[in-house]
Amino acid sequence: MTEATTGSIVRADAPPGGEKIIEIEGLNKWFGDFHVLRDIYMSVNKGEVVVVIGPSGSGKSTLIRCINRLEEHQEGRIVVDGVELTDDVRAIDLVRRETGMVFQQFNLFPHLTVLENITLAPIRVRKMKKSEAEEQAMYFLTKVGIPEQARKYPGQLSGGQQQRVAIARSLTMGPKVMLFDEPTSALDPEVIGEVLDVMVNLAKEGMTMIVVTHEMGFAREVGDRVVFMDAGQIVEVGTPEHFFQAPREQRTRAFLSKIL
Amino acid sequence: MFVPIEPRPAPVPTKGPVVWLKKNLFSSPFNTVLTIVTGAVVAFSLYNLAWFVFFDASWGQVWANMKLFAVYRYPADLLWRPLAIAAGLMFLLGGMAGVGGRGSITANTFFALQGFVAVLSVVAVVFWPSVRFLWPMVLVAGYAGYLLGRSWPRLAKLLPWAWAVWFVLGIMLLSGVTPGSGLLRVVPSRDWGGFLLTLVLFTGIIPSFPLGVALALGRNSKLPAIKYFCIAFIEIVRGAPLIMWLFIASLLLPLLLNTDANSLPAILRAYVAITLFSAAYMAENVRGGLQAVPRGQSEAARALGLSAWQTTMLIVLPQALRAVIPAIVGQAIGLFKDTSLVFIVGLVDFFRAGDLVTVQPQSLLVTGGVKLEVYLFVAVIYFFFAYRMSVASRQLERQLGVGVR
Repeated sequence: MTEATTGSIVRADAPPGGEKIIEIEGLNKWFGDFHVLRDIYMSVNKGEVVVVIGPSGSGKSTLIRCINRLEEHQEGRIVVDGVELTDDVRAIDLVRRETGMVFQQFNLFPHLTVLENITLAPIRVRKMKKSEAEEQAMYFLTKVGIPEQARKYPGQLSGGQQQRVAIARSLTMGPKVMLFDEPTSALDPEVIGEVLDVMVNLAKEGMTMIVVTHEMGFAREVGDRVVFMDAGQIVEVGTPEHFFQAPREQRTRAFLSKIL
Repeated sequence: MFVPIEPRPAPVPTKGPVVWLKKNLFSSPFNTVLTIVTGAVVAFSLYNLAWFVFFDASWGQVWANMKLFAVYRYPADLLWRPLAIAAGLMFLLGGMAGVGGRGSITANTFFALQGFVAVLSVVAVVFWPSVRFLWPMVLVAGYAGYLLGRSWPRLAKLLPWAWAVWFVLGIMLLSGVTPGSGLLRVVPSRDWGGFLLTLVLFTGIIPSFPLGVALALGRNSKLPAIKYFCIAFIEIVRGAPLIMWLFIASLLLPLLLNTDANSLPAILRAYVAITLFSAAYMAENVRGGLQAVPRGQSEAARALGLSAWQTTMLIVLPQALRAVIPAIVGQAIGLFKDTSLVFIVGLVDFFRAGDLVTVQPQSLLVTGGVKLEVYLFVAVIYFFFAYRMSVASRQLERQLGVGVR
């Protein structure tokens, strides 16, 4: 048994009235002895866009990686679309099929073409026909603005194009939730905009999104809530306007003064 | 106002043999001396070697023993069987080359081997009367396959099956099926030898590949039983020289299977030893490749909903194997030459066949013996095959490098 909590717990609950798609209750996680996530309570409604900010090492990436079980948690409950994440492999597979994830380093498969990258999961997991999967892939490639790159290999694309392919790749699985783990942090400043545009459009279409990012412009444009994390805990929760105008905590103000 | 600078062509480097010589061989007084001295030494040695090869050497014994080099004691009247297998293999390789088209890896390999067969055909016509018409047939079969592949690309779909079928048929043809004295009579494997045996043992690399991959994956397994079995296997096998495993296999395998030593052919025992030995090294090569694949790759695959097995087979392994092609080919070349160690358990492979030629009475009649001639011949053949593998692997690397920067 762990020691009792001594500090204050800030809950990032979804606004009432919505249909909850993600519920996190009392989440705790350790890397070895290091207590990386401490008493996280958070929920997200369908169609909400939640932006998670915080200094590096604050646990924000680990938090969203717990939601599709790329990281195992030791305490607490995570429920995604009615399925609780446990050691049950079927539950994990179920959740992973419902959640798309976009990584900081894109993680495209370098030995496959752009088209093969996108059609791989629909063909292998959803058992879709190849022609159908390719048609769908072209639809999403058009949506992210680069249908002409379909036959190229990831290594032949710019960073911004690669990240847009990665987004298209996630979308083909028809996810109910999209997780973004610092999607623009590895990009040249000139191409950040093209990736953010895609994400803004996605948000406007009603996709449920959890976005770890420092792009406060994005948060202001489409974010419903901002969650500020530090040292493994949620420190402050509010609308983007709240964070721009009157953050409550000293820690939040100090952080925002550095990134704005 | 800002005006962009028009691009200009790069300055043309001064070229030509004189410039090259000056830059690379005579750039300083010291280098000039070095060039002259090494050049003189190399020229002198090559001159001596060439003099030996063209004037002093007696190649008669090498030509007279082509059959011994090729197959050792395989019955002379049944030579059509290994040659038919060779013809089939060249036909299939020719088919692959034809489908792949000029310049493909298979085509380059095919034509190099055709050249080798052509030289052998000439040698056979002059020195090896009993098969003088069969060797050229191998050549013809190869070209037939090539032309078929060129004109009928759908052959590509049949080829994997054809290889598998021919592999089984080849073994049956080599060992024979009927008792007695007919065309298809059984030839006990103790009569197989020479280059034929070298090639048979070298095919041990084929089963060692999936075994090695399985061991490498097993070593990374989360299940302790599998993991520690794989670690123990790899470390124990790598912990002793191949020559010792050949001994152990010839003594231990009959014991493990509780049979008489003579009921397990020596070739089979050596084959098992070579395959398992090679698998252990293969496993470590593959493991190196697995470690070279970034974690993000499998995370992305899992996040897309692919199963652990799919992630390994479709994402991690293809990238891992690609990264270790040079190491795997290096291992194949090493294994090809290491098969010569089987002389220690009484088998007569290509190298040992050469050894036997040097101690024949006819060889001893030649003044000065024929050792140098025989070993030069053996070395050239080994070199040809090892070098071809190396060339093919470099081309493979270049081709797979597409899009991977």
